[in-house]
Amino acid sequence: MIGGKKLTGLIAALLVIFMPSFTLAQDINFSVSPPEVHIYNLSSGEAEEFELTIHNKDEIAHNFTIATFQPPEEERREGMAELPDGSWISFSSQEIEVAANSEANVTVAVAIPRGQKWAGGDWETWLGVAAESSDLLAVRLYVRLLVSTNPTMEARSNAGLVAGIVAGIVLLGCGCYYYFRRKAKPG
Amino acid sequence: MKVVITSIVVAIILALVFSLPALAQESGTITITMTGVCEISISLDKAQWPLGNIASDTEYTTIPPIEWCTLTVEGNCNVNTFIVGEDAEWVDNAGYKWTLSNDGTNGENVYGLWFRISGDTTRGPLGDGYVPITKTQDEFWPYGGSGSSLAPGATKQFGLKLLMPTYFVGGRDMQTQITISAVAA
Repeated sequence: MIGGKKLTGLIAALLVIFMPSFTLAQDINFSVSPPEVHIYNLSSGEAEEFELTIHNKDEIAHNFTIATFQPPEEERREGMAELPDGSWISFSSQEIEVAANSEANVTVAVAIPRGQKWAGGDWETWLGVAAESSDLLAVRLYVRLLVSTNPTMEARSNAGLVAGIVAGIVLLGCGCYYYFRRKAKPG
Repeated sequence: MKVVITSIVVAIILALVFSLPALAQESGTITITMTGVCEISISLDKAQWPLGNIASDTEYTTIPPIEWCTLTVEGNCNVNTFIVGEDAEWVDNAGYKWTLSNDGTNGENVYGLWFRISGDTTRGPLGDGYVPITKTQDEFWPYGGSGSSLAPGATKQFGLKLLMPTYFVGGRDMQTQITISAVAA
């Protein structure tokens, strides 16, 4: 009898019944623009910025988070490769509060490291914007970010070399000048 | 004097000859193209699934099963959509969780999640329209390289199926999230 009660208790425990937290608030209505950004001709060692606008269409304020996401190959634009390093992308803020029925901008910076190996690249990454919530169902909106680098970007990193050549030529000119002046002096 | 002028001119010409090509390359213009005044947005008309009391190793389906929630494209650009799930965590201590199965099956502290889009009758591993929701982002609509992206104003109705773990510690308030995402097509 006691054993039967224990078994029943065990079964009851295993079939524990509880109210799961699959109960949530209403869906959060928001939009992001632009949905796609393409930066052309970015060079090694350079950075470029643009702004994303998050429009909170709800009647209450919400916190939004922004993060990069590497898209699967089949979802990328034709000819685009995976961005080699997500750390090339940075945000003015990865979390932002947007008031009810308002918009807010997030500045996105794209910085390409120095190096010839980054010349002529065509890369794609996605910027995911999501509203913070504990809801069962949530929405995330992606902005496609396409980055194309300058195929001759190494020339830019040779600015010092060019400056050196120019300085050398000027010095050479001065040398010539003094040489000819001395040579032109009588006696 | 003539020699001085000649020397300076020669120096300037040589400097320009060497530096101009490189400087010209440095003057390349960076162009940023943004897709006009478009905005991307989708909405879901449900955010909660009040299950009531639930038990281990039991399957629960939304009511109605496949027209429970409506996804609507609110923005003004066509979109492709995706779905991803996550482990369910105990609200009081994230150290205890139910792992989300990668094939929709269940196990000890392992649970399964499925979705089915209205009209899909053969999709999924069982050919019944239900597709497992996993921790890897997968296609929601379109899928498998077929079908077209969703245009502004388009809708998709879907339902969920939850398969509870075969065993779990009871009396704990668990929480999980399913994220539906969209990108410009």
